[in-house]
Amino acid sequence: MQHILRLFILLVGLFAGVGSYAADAAPKLTTPDDLGPQIEQPIEFPHFRHAGDAKDGGMQINCMYCHTYARRSMVAGIPPVQKCIGCHQSIESVRDKPRIKKLFEYWEAKKPIPWKKVHDLPDFVRFNHERHIQRFYFQQDRPYQEVCGYCHGDVKKMTVARRQKPLTMGWCASCHMKDHPISAHSTKTGHGPNDCFTCHK
Amino acid sequence: MSVSNLLENWSKFRHTHPVEDKGHPDWEAYPSDIKWAMAIDLDACTGCNACSVACYAENNLPVVGKEKYSHGQAMHWMRIERYWDESESGFEVDQGARFLPMMCQQCEAAPCETVCPVGATNHTEDGLNSQIYNRCIGSRYCSANCPYKVRYFNWYDYPTTKDVWPSPMNEQLNPDLSVRSKGVMEKCTFCKQRTYVARNNAKTEGRPVQDGDVQTACQEACPAGAITFGNLYDPESKVAQKWQHQQVELTKEKQDKDKTEGNRLRGYRILEELRPYPSVMYLERVRESAV
Repeated sequence: MQHILRLFILLVGLFAGVGSYAADAAPKLTTPDDLGPQIEQPIEFPHFRHAGDAKDGGMQINCMYCHTYARRSMVAGIPPVQKCIGCHQSIESVRDKPRIKKLFEYWEAKKPIPWKKVHDLPDFVRFNHERHIQRFYFQQDRPYQEVCGYCHGDVKKMTVARRQKPLTMGWCASCHMKDHPISAHSTKTGHGPNDCFTCHK
Repeated sequence: MSVSNLLENWSKFRHTHPVEDKGHPDWEAYPSDIKWAMAIDLDACTGCNACSVACYAENNLPVVGKEKYSHGQAMHWMRIERYWDESESGFEVDQGARFLPMMCQQCEAAPCETVCPVGATNHTEDGLNSQIYNRCIGSRYCSANCPYKVRYFNWYDYPTTKDVWPSPMNEQLNPDLSVRSKGVMEKCTFCKQRTYVARNNAKTEGRPVQDGDVQTACQEACPAGAITFGNLYDPESKVAQKWQHQQVELTKEKQDKDKTEGNRLRGYRILEELRPYPSVMYLERVRESAV
């Protein structure tokens, strides 16, 4: 009897322990459909309308028109409200749409839009947008939608962006180990750095 | 490294000079044109500790306090060592102490690298001795094997320890490198975050890294300008010229200049005879009494 009681206490303790661990655990890396979590943004920003192809009713705006810093900085950057207003103040046709009204509310209140981060890397990782854009967009002359899409997926078909790739170290390394041509006009190839210290800080 | 790999490549292991053997799989295909190195002029150093303070600020180092310091748990990546001249009558205090700024010497044949059980510390292509905090399991083997004793262990989870970064000091933590957690070894990185930016900018502009593109935090703070930092492979760089002028060579454990008697060159590297091939050259202090 004593033994059974002890076993019972042990099992209860074990389940309680595992249960409490699971409750504290960080949100899962992958959701049932294998993508990042659905994130609710303050304004449901239609990427497909801005960046999408003309045949799908998009404006084909270059990603780097709004995410300006991608080509010259570590981070791609979220555009300031000013940038949105810059165009939208002279687009009368959509002025009465609920999202645009909300946008102008932020503008008139002089408040930034509290966008939530979709592609969030851990703090110990150093990822550099500039290097990737310089390499694939400027040196290799590949289309920007393809270049940004390597990591961000087909944003031009999304409304609110959702993480498409795992963004794990193995996933980064799978590309870094491949040989890519150095530039569009060169047959020489090279691959990404494989030093731990380049990306881990 | 498996045993079979070790046996197959035995000849290579035995015959490659540690400085030539980059231990880097890409080295032959993409040799680096950068080797970060330093020169510290002890004649200029006044022992003011500004370098150490700058390092604390730049590299998110915890200030552990008096008690933990006395337990040998200080986290100063850059420390000023004091040496007193001794004579028969005791210490010569009149002349004051000799100061020696000591930080990771970024050895080419680093003793710490070979003993790490998980490969958390290894050599980068630009000649740094890297420390990967995520990989480190805290065996402290590297620290035991470091002849300079410049590796520091996180005995506590300092970010959550009271009064390490009391508000608003936590606001000044540098986002360019992580705040290390408990159980991780750390050490000077030659301000990796700064060299990274310099290399990145140079690459975007399509030019090699020039002298003066990057300054380490300690160099920037030194009021006497005692610290020179740069690319040793660039013959135009100040640090390379200093090394050359002092006839100190990276690949030698015994410098030629030391063989000639009455040599008045001041350059030397610490514990060279152990053959770690350190990347920091010191310029000896000349006392008035010795002249």
